[in-house]
Amino acid sequence: MGDALIEARDVSVTFGSGSRAVRAVRGVSLHIDQGEAVGIVGESGSGKSTLARVLAGLQRPDSGEVLFEGENIYQRGKAYRGDKRRLVQMVFQDPYGSLNPRIIALSAVSEAVRVHGVGSRADATARSLELLAQMGISERDAKKKPRQLSGGQRQRVSVARALSAQPAVLLADEPTSAIDQSAQAQLLNLFQGLLDGGLSIALVSHDLGVIRYLTQRVYVMKDGEFVESGPTIEVFDNPTQDYTKKLIASIPGRELRKART
Amino acid sequence: MSANPVPGVSPDSLVEIRDLVIGIQRTRKDRLIIVDSANFDIRRAETLGLVGESGSGKTMVCRSLIGTLKRRSASIFAGSIIFDGLDLANLDERQWRPVRGNRIGYVPQSALTGPNPVMTVGKQLGEAVRRNRKRKDKDVRKRGMELLDLVHIRRPEVVYDQYPFQLSGGMRQRVMIAAAIAQDPDIVVADEPTTGLDVTVQAEIMKLLQEIRSEFNMSVVLVSHDLALIDEVCDRLVVMHAGTCVEVGTVPDVASTPLHPYTIALNRSRIDIATPGAPLVTIKGNPPAVGEWPPGCRFAERCDLVQEDCAVGRNPALVEVRPAHWSACLHTELLGGSHG
Repeated sequence: MGDALIEARDVSVTFGSGSRAVRAVRGVSLHIDQGEAVGIVGESGSGKSTLARVLAGLQRPDSGEVLFEGENIYQRGKAYRGDKRRLVQMVFQDPYGSLNPRIIALSAVSEAVRVHGVGSRADATARSLELLAQMGISERDAKKKPRQLSGGQRQRVSVARALSAQPAVLLADEPTSAIDQSAQAQLLNLFQGLLDGGLSIALVSHDLGVIRYLTQRVYVMKDGEFVESGPTIEVFDNPTQDYTKKLIASIPGRELRKART
Repeated sequence: MSANPVPGVSPDSLVEIRDLVIGIQRTRKDRLIIVDSANFDIRRAETLGLVGESGSGKTMVCRSLIGTLKRRSASIFAGSIIFDGLDLANLDERQWRPVRGNRIGYVPQSALTGPNPVMTVGKQLGEAVRRNRKRKDKDVRKRGMELLDLVHIRRPEVVYDQYPFQLSGGMRQRVMIAAAIAQDPDIVVADEPTTGLDVTVQAEIMKLLQEIRSEFNMSVVLVSHDLALIDEVCDRLVVMHAGTCVEVGTVPDVASTPLHPYTIALNRSRIDIATPGAPLVTIKGNPPAVGEWPPGCRFAERCDLVQEDCAVGRNPALVEVRPAHWSACLHTELLGGSHG
């Protein structure tokens, strides 16, 4: 694990205080290496989204630290200062909520391109169209507003926006849960392509099928803690914890998969 | 269409949906067709899956089964839904009352249109239990508890007086199922009942639906875009694409010999049977938008096996290609045995 890009050490997050305190994340450590896809699975309320927000620098942990390339992400009180902010990008679950409904896809992306400092307006537009094309969004669709796009297209616009920064790490929080199966396949192929291009991806999901397909390593989270972690294939084939076994037993179509492979 | 052998004509048929056309009357002359020629049967005590991408018309077909199309300003323009001698396509609101909820129950999508947030569980169940009859409060409460017990809610006496926000998503969905079966209906229509629920909860809800189906000899219509789920719990399935039924058959038949390129493409995009890391096969393009359907087969543009005669003329009708297995593909011979 020498070349860990992001590393979390003994991170805890508590919401509220006193008797109503909720310990969402409890002393969790993980690392994401260069070019690697890491999964974080767990059910609602397990703390996986909070953890993703901590890694993105959107939620400050109460204790523990997050390192990016070996250095604490918080410098002089702020997370990911300077160029580092660009290198870690997040994709959220609901693209409808993360895109401005009054702005066409192209502008949404070129806005991000310009923020990250790419030449003139015309250059930014050209670059945005290129990014959108990579995501399989045509020039015609790029001129549409979010509500005119399908759920899968909206999610791909969000990904294009995140990629405009040319990040080293993509943190994706349930990116496939709001879109249907064929759109999900398109997005996963895209992610696979990005991985081949050297990007690191942390995928937070309750969908074990997606985790199994895309990631090399997985952390299984329950009540704010990791109950099991390891290479995805091993964890899926030989889960050691009851909780992991239960999760895997609940994947629909599991029997069928066994029969075919 | 009526000249063709129609799907699922069998003595067990409980509902026969024939040439159903659903749409929105925008102006006096302008009709937007959302579903045309839906053709399938619902058999007694079966679990029937309804699959397709978003916008394929699954939800509209469901709504026609419970008579709530009007709430989406849609209506039935043609066709019939024969259920026990009644044509559901031609009922007025007064005629719907003894059917909806009494003989056909409905379980909505969990997170979105769940229970009424300002009514206690008991009050909502009470409505489902009373319907339009007078019943003593004591009896209603007793039946409510019984129903909560049926859907395996622990401590029904506590949950009965709670509000939906005090319950987890899975519990809420159990309450909705309890309400749907309150009148011991013949059919329960469940529109994506587990979307947004955790996998373990999803598995429990599915198990519950199966249990209720066999215990009360009900038919369940399950709408989902998750083929893996349909495969696991359904007896038969109907595949919808752009407002039409493109394939109808038993789950094992459709899994072993899919007879429509769309079904094959859907199957290939499944991650549960994919090799990790290997590219998933995606379906080209997007489903044609409502109102922009091309002539001929609406899948032609996206199909790998498209032939010259595919994209012309009328939308192809379902044909019984193999026994009890219908396909709307004009070129099933090209599908060979190489798939599945």
